Amino acid sequence: MGFASTIKVPFGPQHPALKEPENFIFEVDGDTVVNVTPRIGYAHRGMEKAFEIRTYIQNVYLAERVCGICSHAHTTCYVQAVEELLGVEAPPRAKYIRTIIAELERLHSHSLWVGIAAHEVGFDTLFMYAWRDRELVMGLLEEISGNRVHYAMNTIGGVRRDLTPELVAKTKSCMDAFETKSKHYLRIMQTEPTFEKRAAGVGILKTKDAVELCAVGPTLRGSGIKNDVRADDPYAAYDEMPFNVISHEGCDVLCRTLTRCEEMLESINIVRYALDHMPSGELRAKVPAAVPAGEAVSRVEAPRGELIHYARSNGSTKPERYKIRSPTLANIPALCKTLIGCHIADIPIILAGIDPCFSCMDRMVFVDAKANNQWIWTMQELRNSKK
Amino acid sequence: MEQTNEVVERLKKLVGDKIVEIKSPRKRRIFLRVEKDSFREAVKEIVNDMKITHLSTITGTDLGQEIELLYHFAYGDLTVLTVGFKIPKDNLNVRTLTDLVPGAILYERELHEVLGVNFEGHPGLLPLILPETWPEGVYPLRKEQKFEDLRKISSKS
Repeated sequence: MGFASTIKVPFGPQHPALKEPENFIFEVDGDTVVNVTPRIGYAHRGMEKAFEIRTYIQNVYLAERVCGICSHAHTTCYVQAVEELLGVEAPPRAKYIRTIIAELERLHSHSLWVGIAAHEVGFDTLFMYAWRDRELVMGLLEEISGNRVHYAMNTIGGVRRDLTPELVAKTKSCMDAFETKSKHYLRIMQTEPTFEKRAAGVGILKTKDAVELCAVGPTLRGSGIKNDVRADDPYAAYDEMPFNVISHEGCDVLCRTLTRCEEMLESINIVRYALDHMPSGELRAKVPAAVPAGEAVSRVEAPRGELIHYARSNGSTKPERYKIRSPTLANIPALCKTLIGCHIADIPIILAGIDPCFSCMDRMVFVDAKANNQWIWTMQELRNSKK
Repeated sequence: MEQTNEVVERLKKLVGDKIVEIKSPRKRRIFLRVEKDSFREAVKEIVNDMKITHLSTITGTDLGQEIELLYHFAYGDLTVLTVGFKIPKDNLNVRTLTDLVPGAILYERELHEVLGVNFEGHPGLLPLILPETWPEGVYPLRKEQKFEDLRKISSKS
């Protein structure tokens, strides 16, 4: 059968796989996908433009809100760019704290994903367990920072909160408990036949395609490429951390899953090592409000892969240009390639396989794409509403 | 820093006559600026000779009379190589890079939408992130577009 017999099936914008808006038009021939057209932008908030009208310190809080999962990755990337422009380095203890929070964030992000992957293949028991156990890390992050999601730990020149000896002890015992759980999930993913049948050989992304289409993170590492910003372009305290870059050769959803599960065990060890070797000293360096003219490229390994920010300053207190590229956008071309030839029933797990985060991806230029969303408040209205 | 300097020297040999500016502000960071006409040749040599295949993203900046395009390549554990050039606002036509680096496809679409750069030979410069009802010719990342005006357009569309 040729293209004349195909029909178009819209997926989304209401949660095509995750509970975030995104639209895919699938052209299907019988049960097989022959073409896919993505349409993003449903959570678009105009953040790059917004960076230009706010001061550097205000932008820390804006960067935090790019994403509701990897908020720390975005602030780390942002403050690193600004610190480079200022010629300031965060104190060693601050770098260790940044590393610890980043790995805790990866742990809760990956365990969220384990739950979603299980849900997409109809394995809801594991979904419930994974999300229950994720609360261990969420609770710990709340104790450390006061917040479950937007930790607000980073600031330009260092971090805002210390890890007290009590928190260090709590973090260690949480890591012990979480390690048992993570090992259990890894064993399930490796041995459970119902998961294997839905994931092995599904959503093939050949190594060559992954490289050509510039895929990043676990999506790339699941296709056999050992590429990780933490190892390749070390930031924070990663140059002092011993850890393995996990990769698998299978190029399918199963390998992307195993990559993430094994990465969780690496993250636990990084947190332990950082806690044991954390230097004492200052938490932040004093920085001026105005940033000298220049440009900087900052990279971070977010839970979903390489995150890159570009900052250009003009000598004032506000950036001239701020560019963000989140890992999900980088993985969309590879995802579309992967979806071609798959069965309709496999679409959700393949979509979820890249661990997409649409609010990260869509933040780029403008306010909101939803036609009925017209109640955007100004800062003044927000202030008044508090009174 | 030695490794980064080695890459700089190699780049100078490869694309020496086309360089407008080359600088390395710190370890593993290189900024290379060339003329628009020699950009493609430079990237070809960089991709073929140095095997730099990972394009992280493309940044477009409105400089007033010109738009600057910066292509951020990541080169394994050696460096992040940013290659860029400027184009005048009255001629925003640029050859697409998707034939050399297929991963550039969405980044070029994004730039087309937010800055009005026309990538010749791109397989489909369709809208990607702005609403379907967005007025033609309004490029939100241009400096002449004020945030408040964009907010009005957005709430209408």
